[in-house]
Amino acid sequence: MAKRATVLKVSGLRRAFGPNTIFEKFNLEVRAGEAIALTGRNGAGKSTLLRCLVGADRPDDGTIEVCGNPMSETNPQVRRDVATVIDDLDFFPDLSVVEHLDLLARAHGITDPDAQVDEVLEEVQLVPQSGQLPGTLSSGQRRRLALATAFVRPRRLLILDEPEQRLDVEGVGWLSRRLQAERQQGLAIVFASHEPTLVESVATRVVTLGAPRG
Amino acid sequence: MSRRKGQQATRGSEAGPRGGTGAPVYATTDEVVEQPSTGLHAAPAEEHRLEAREDVRPTDDAADADEDGPDVEPTPSPALPAASPRELRGLMKDWRRGRATRNLGQALSDAYVAVIAALMLGAMTVNVIIKAQRVVADCSSASCLSARALLPWAAVLAAVATALAVARLFGPVLASAAEGFWLLDAPVSRSKLLRSRLVAALVGALVGGAVIGGLISLLTGSGGPESAVWAVATGLSASAAVAASAAQQGRERHRLSRAASFVFGLLGVVALLGVVGVAADWFTLRLSTTLGTEIGAVVAGLAVVLLLGGTVLAASRLSSIRRTRLVSGGSLVKGISGAFFALDIGLARDIVVQRRTMEVGHVTPRRGHGEGLQALTWREWQRLRRFPQPLVAWAGTIVVPYASEALGLSAVTPVFGALALFGATVPMLNGLRVLTRTGGLARCLPFSMAQIKLAVVTAPAILAAVWAVAVGPAFAGVAGGAAGRTFGEASLMAVATAAAGLLAAIRWTQAKGVDFSKPMVSTQAGALPPGLVTNLFRGFDVCLLATAPMLLGFSPLWSLAIEAITAIVLFNSFDAESMQAKQKEAQRQMDLQKRERESQAAMARQRKR
Repeated sequence: MAKRATVLKVSGLRRAFGPNTIFEKFNLEVRAGEAIALTGRNGAGKSTLLRCLVGADRPDDGTIEVCGNPMSETNPQVRRDVATVIDDLDFFPDLSVVEHLDLLARAHGITDPDAQVDEVLEEVQLVPQSGQLPGTLSSGQRRRLALATAFVRPRRLLILDEPEQRLDVEGVGWLSRRLQAERQQGLAIVFASHEPTLVESVATRVVTLGAPRG
Repeated sequence: MSRRKGQQATRGSEAGPRGGTGAPVYATTDEVVEQPSTGLHAAPAEEHRLEAREDVRPTDDAADADEDGPDVEPTPSPALPAASPRELRGLMKDWRRGRATRNLGQALSDAYVAVIAALMLGAMTVNVIIKAQRVVADCSSASCLSARALLPWAAVLAAVATALAVARLFGPVLASAAEGFWLLDAPVSRSKLLRSRLVAALVGALVGGAVIGGLISLLTGSGGPESAVWAVATGLSASAAVAASAAQQGRERHRLSRAASFVFGLLGVVALLGVVGVAADWFTLRLSTTLGTEIGAVVAGLAVVLLLGGTVLAASRLSSIRRTRLVSGGSLVKGISGAFFALDIGLARDIVVQRRTMEVGHVTPRRGHGEGLQALTWREWQRLRRFPQPLVAWAGTIVVPYASEALGLSAVTPVFGALALFGATVPMLNGLRVLTRTGGLARCLPFSMAQIKLAVVTAPAILAAVWAVAVGPAFAGVAGGAAGRTFGEASLMAVATAAAGLLAAIRWTQAKGVDFSKPMVSTQAGALPPGLVTNLFRGFDVCLLATAPMLLGFSPLWSLAIEAITAIVLFNSFDAESMQAKQKEAQRQMDLQKRERESQAAMARQRKR
């Protein structure tokens, strides 16, 4: 069987806030079709690591490569390859739910944006809210919209920070199935989670960060 | 005290108001009821706190009671009558007094500073008024006097429009989140609780309107009695507008006040245009210049009638205002005041924009167009079509260069024009604001930041170009003023002015909030976080810098050159933050190389040994 291409390569990553070292000498290689779950207690550095991986935070040391390109948030090629759902996602206050998705699909040059948007909207169960402005959505609906922004566009690497947050039980089940399907289609996934069922069903490898409380 | 009684006292105090009057309102034992309880009994707050601490201290007896079980049967609680709104307010006042953090000396010191500040501002205002009155004393032609007679009307209309808009935004009757949770849920008359809020809003509008009306009347050279009448008329009109808005709030309807706000705003702009037109002799308007006091009195009389009617209606509907509506106004005030305390005007605007879109809530989705960057640009046009109010303001600013030239202020026309366009363009840059305030949404798009910025400012840039074409004749001297400019020079000035306004708006929109985690800067006013004060001048600095060559009589090409450099800086995000990040990255690379060299040298030494 042919070896799958490396999508994400992290070497010797280090991040510290003052004297507090969050992680150091962190290495990770993620190939297409692999799903890496980051687990660990609160404050172990999962979100910080993911922020470094998406370019929202700058590591103190080490290198990150996405599909062979050095990680840079400003690099359009990296932006094209990496879909992210972390906490800093913002929405246009005057564009509706469906218009956000339509904009992203068109910006990424999807050939049939309407069909793609309809499919994702149906999947995240936001069809009744399609005309609503983001400010009026509940926290769970905002989370679904955030996830939809990652699924409506082409991607090679999916980075998610606690994607199960604010989702109901049914939502977590859907997310689990969706991520499994994504992985089987050859997508590389790195996600942090506190949800054991999600980790168990999606992850091919589990990386536990930080020492356990003791 | 029996074990059970001790336990009940502890539980009651924990559940009672924090640190305040200690003993619980729903106390179940005689011993607890005997204690001086609520603040309604006007006992000193400090004393209450001490008592409360004694109550909450767990005793061994109380702890044992859980294990041993009660040895006394619980007595049925005596029903206490519900507190009245007045008593609740008195209770809160008592708590607040008890928590005063300033002593008399500090309070007197603050009062001294406030009085001196008021005196200084008052002296400056009086000085400005006297100077303005001296200047307008020369105004004796029919056109000038007619224009002056129009100004108080413009002030009344603008005050009413502003009062309606602000009242609709905040409530006008509002309550804080704490009041919403603790008081509005209580079984007390909501209208009695909110009456003081309504009165405060009405008085605020009355005072604000009167100050604006009086100042404008005085600045345009009106006499004391006439200015006083117009001040009262403007104040009463603004207050009547707030009363009408409050009456609408009680019925959860805002369509009428929204329409009235738009109509009065439009009439205000028309009145201002009339002032400019009449002063510039574009047309004549026969207005009485001697009956100002009488006309003002009639306006005030009408406003009183409306104010009384509106207030009665609003007061009768106070109890039907929903808690969510009251609390949302309170939280908006809290958010905006927080943003202003941090001198973050951008954040304050974000809060207002968010609030307005939440009011709209739902829109008819529109299909996008094109792909790639074209899709982004297309959405900006759709956004303007959906919320076209900024276009009205933009169109209104076209008159500014004409008015400036007509009034003989040719030298400062570029500055006025650029500032006006700057103010009108900011509301069109909501897309840029969202894409630059956090990196999240921009990260979803497969373009560089410079490309994204260019795409989202294309629509405002085209409008700025149209603006330049529209104001070109003003610079060429069509409205009077400096007729000596050639067509080419006038065109270049118009383009440079429009570009200054657009770039200023882009700079203002991209402003990052102040980072309070960075080391403070020592100033004569005390320690300040970097960027706190400079944030206030963002945008205005570009306006002044870019128009300075024209202001000083140099060629507009100099302005265009400054604008080209500014544009490169703004679109490539060469802001301080990214410069620091790049510097840090370079330092890191140098450290890495140094470590490599050191390790190689160490290995070489080992080999030698």
